[in-house]
Amino acid sequence: MSAADVISLYPAFIVEHAAPLVVVVPLIAAALAAMTPGQRPAWLITLGATGASTLLAILLLAQTMTQGVVSYALGGWVAPIGIEYRVDQLNAMILLLVGVFGFLCALYAPRSVDDEIPQSMRGLFYSCFLVCFTGLMGVAITGDAFNLFVFLEISSLSTYVLVGIGSHRDRRALTASYNYLILGTIGATFFVLGVGFLYAATGTLNIADMAERLSGLEASSTVRAGFAFIVVGLGLKVAMYPLHSWLPNAYTFAPSVVTAFLASTATKVAFYALVRFFYSVFDPGFVFEGAFWIWLVAPLGVIAMLAASVQAVFQTDIRRLFAFSSVAQVGYMLLGLSFGTAAGLGAGLLHLLNHAMMKGALFMAIGAAALRFGVMRIEEFRGLGRTMPFTMAAFTIAGLSLIGVPLTAGFVSKFALLNAALERGWWWAVVAIAVSSILALIYVGRIIEAAYLKAPPTRDGVSAARAPAPLSMLIPLWTLALANVWFGVNAGFTTSLACNAAMMLTGDGVCIGPGAAP
Amino acid sequence: MTAREAAEVASPFLFHEIVFLDIAILAMMAGVGWAIIRERRLFVVVMLSGAYSLLSAAFFVALDAVDVAFTEAAVGAGISTTLMLAAMLLTAREARRPAAGMRIAPLAVVAVTGAALLYATTDLPDFGDPDSPANAYVGRAYLVRTPDEVGTPNVVTAVLASYRGYDTLGETVVIFTAGLGVMLLLGLRGARRSKYAEARRQRQAAARLENQLNNSDEDETS
Amino acid sequence: MSSNHHLVLRVVAKLLIPAIALFAFYVQFHGDFGPGGGFQAGVILAVAVILYALIFGVDEARRAVPPWLVRAGCAAGVLIYAGVGVATLIGGEAYLDYDALGPEHHHGQHLGILLVELGVLTTVASVMLAIFYAFAGRAPDIPDEEW
Repeated sequence: MSAADVISLYPAFIVEHAAPLVVVVPLIAAALAAMTPGQRPAWLITLGATGASTLLAILLLAQTMTQGVVSYALGGWVAPIGIEYRVDQLNAMILLLVGVFGFLCALYAPRSVDDEIPQSMRGLFYSCFLVCFTGLMGVAITGDAFNLFVFLEISSLSTYVLVGIGSHRDRRALTASYNYLILGTIGATFFVLGVGFLYAATGTLNIADMAERLSGLEASSTVRAGFAFIVVGLGLKVAMYPLHSWLPNAYTFAPSVVTAFLASTATKVAFYALVRFFYSVFDPGFVFEGAFWIWLVAPLGVIAMLAASVQAVFQTDIRRLFAFSSVAQVGYMLLGLSFGTAAGLGAGLLHLLNHAMMKGALFMAIGAAALRFGVMRIEEFRGLGRTMPFTMAAFTIAGLSLIGVPLTAGFVSKFALLNAALERGWWWAVVAIAVSSILALIYVGRIIEAAYLKAPPTRDGVSAARAPAPLSMLIPLWTLALANVWFGVNAGFTTSLACNAAMMLTGDGVCIGPGAAP
Repeated sequence: MTAREAAEVASPFLFHEIVFLDIAILAMMAGVGWAIIRERRLFVVVMLSGAYSLLSAAFFVALDAVDVAFTEAAVGAGISTTLMLAAMLLTAREARRPAAGMRIAPLAVVAVTGAALLYATTDLPDFGDPDSPANAYVGRAYLVRTPDEVGTPNVVTAVLASYRGYDTLGETVVIFTAGLGVMLLLGLRGARRSKYAEARRQRQAAARLENQLNNSDEDETS
Repeated sequence: MSSNHHLVLRVVAKLLIPAIALFAFYVQFHGDFGPGGGFQAGVILAVAVILYALIFGVDEARRAVPPWLVRAGCAAGVLIYAGVGVATLIGGEAYLDYDALGPEHHHGQHLGILLVELGVLTTVASVMLAIFYAFAGRAPDIPDEEW
C-alpha cells in the first residue's frame, strides 16, 4: 500500500488538521480523564486517545512521504509571526515512535496500575500519563523553539509526577523524583536561556527562520553561549554521560508501566531535539560545532558506552541494571551523531528506534514479573523461565537484541554504526562498540542464566507454580519482541525511516542503504 | 571637555537617572540573594524570597515590562510566598548546613554558568536598541500589525493570547500538570498527616495542656 | 482556633476579601487594555480564598470552595482553552484561529481572547487552591504563639 493510499483512507478534514490534532487529541483526553470519576473510563480514554494519536502520526508520516514537509500555522498566523507545526521525515518518525509506544503502554497499563497504584489515584494517573504523552508529541512536532520548551516542560513535569507515584510501592521513588526534578529543571532553565540568547541574536523563534538568520553569526559570543546552554540543557534530558545521574533511580522506582514508557520514548524525544538543534538550527559547518562533536560528543558517547555498561554489570536490581544500559545506549546514539555523516546519523537514529523496541519489551517483561512474583533482583529471577515462560521468552528475545545478536534489530543498528565508524576511520569507536556489546552480553546473560538454568524458588519442598502474565500484558510485550525479530530480518522500513531523515538533515546522498543491512 | 562630558558623549545612556535606579535595585537584589544563601531559618528565607520577587518586579517596571512585573509581583511575591509558608509548616524550621565537600562542586557549576552568561552578553545588542534583531524583526511586526489584525490596545495580550496563543495553551497545561502532581502525590483532603506535622501537633497539645494547668483561672479555650 | 481570636484581623479580612476578588476580575477583563490577564487574575482570585482560609481556617474555606470543585476546575480551564481551538477548527479555520468565531475580524479575536483567558483563569485559580489545600490540609492550624 502506497503512502497516497494511506492518506486516502482518512477524511479530508482530518488530513487538513492532522498536525495539531495529533497533540490536541491526547491533551483534551488528559483533561477529560482528570474529570472522570472512575478508573476504567479514564483508561478507555487513554487507550482511545493514544490510539487516535498513533493513527494521526501514521497519516503525517504518509504525508511527508508524498508531499515532503507538512507545515501548519497555528492560530492562522504564518511563521515567524505565529507558531508553526512542521513535520518532516525526522519528526514524523519520532511522532510514530511516541504514538506506538504510548498506545502499547496504555494497552499494557491496567493490570500493572491496579497492582501498584492506589485506587483513588488511578484516574489522575492516566490523566498524567496522557499529559506526558502530549508533551512528548508536542516536542516532536513543533517547528518553534519556544513552543518546544513549553512542551518539554509539560512532558518533564508530568514525568516527575509519574516517577513520584512509585512511592506507593517504594518510598525512595520520592527522592528519585525530587532529584530528577532539580536536575530536569536546571536542564530546562539552561535550554530556555539558550533559546533566549538565540532570540536576542536573530529576533525570531521559528526554527527554520532562526537557522536562516544564524548564518553569518557563528562568531557571535551570544550565539555560541546559546549553543552551549542548549546542549547542556538537552544533554540533561537525554542523560548524556556525566549528566545522567537522575536516570537510574528514576527508572528503578517509577511504576513499571511508566518505566517502560519513559525508557522507550522520553530520552528518545530529547535526543531528537538535540539532533534538531545540531542540524536544523545550527549549521554543522560552524567551526565550534564540528570541534564540539569530535572533542566532546564522541568521547562522551564512548565513555557512556563503556562506563555505564560496566556499572550495569555490577547491579543487582534488574531495573537499575537496564537503566545503566540505557545510558550506554544513549552513548551509541551520540556516537552515531558525532560522525557528522548521513551514515553515522542514520545509524544513530536507527538505534534510537531499535533501542525503544528492546527497552520497551524488557521493562514490560520486568513489570509482568513484578506483578506476578513481586521480584526485582537478579537472584529472584531464578526459574522464571519455567514459571513465566511466555514473558521470559519475550524478555530473552529483547535481551538478545540488546546484545546485538544477528537476526535481531539490535544487530542491524550496531552493524550500521560499525560501518559508519569504519567509513570515518575511527577504529577506537569500533573497539568501543565491540567491548560494550560484550559487556551487554555479560549483564543480560546473568539474568537469562538465572531465569533458565536455576530452579524456581521452593517453599516447603514445593516449587513455585507456573503463573503466566495476563494477556493484556503479553500482547504488547510480544508485539515488541516480535518487532525486534521482524526489524532484525527485514530492516527495510526502519532503515528507510532513519536514512531518509539522516539524508535530509546532512544533505548527503548516501546512507546505510538496504545493502549494508544483512 | 570634562571627563564626565566625554563619557556622556561616548555613552549618554550611562548617566541617565534610570540607570542609577537600576543599579540600586540590582544591588538590593544581590544583597537579598546573599542573605537568602546565608540564612538558615526557613521562615526568614521565605520572606526574603518574597522581597526578592518584589524587587525583581520593580526592576521589570524599570525595564518598561509592566506585564512581566505584574506577573512577578502576583506570582513570585504573592502566592509563591504563601505556598512556601504553607509547605514550610510541614517541615523543620531550620535548614541543616550542608557538608563542606558538598559546596565545592555546586560552586564550580555556578561559576562556569556565570562566566558563560557574561561571555554571552559581550555580543548582545544594546538594551533598548530599536534596531536590534528582537526589536526590529518579529517584535516590530507585532506592534505594527496588532491594531489591524487583533485590535486589542495591549499588544502583549495580543501576542500572548492570539499570535502565540498556542504557547499559552501549553503554559496552561503546565499549570494543570502542577495541580495534577499535587493531587496525585499529596491529595487534596490532607487526610494523611505527615510525620512532622503529627509530632508538632502532639507537642503543641502537650504545651497547651500545661498552659491550662498553670493558668486555670483565665481559661479561655473551653 | 476559638471564635473570638484575632477580631481585628477578621474584620479587616472580611472587608478585604470581596475587594481582592473584585480586583481579580478587573485584572481579568482589563487585560486587553492594560497589564493583566488570566494568569495574574487567577492568582489573585486564589489569594482571596487563601486569605479566607488563613483567617477562618482551612475547613471553612473547604466548605466555601469544595475540593471537588477545585479538582474539576483544574481540568475545566484546559478544556475551555483547548475547546476554543476545536470550535475554530469546526468553524473552518486553523486551530486557535479566532477569526472563525465572529462575523467581523476583530469581533472573533476579542471573543477568542476573552474565552481563552477565562480558561487560563479557571485553571490557574484552581491549581493554586489545590496546592494550598494539599499543603494546608496536612499542617495543623497555626498556633497562637506563632502569629
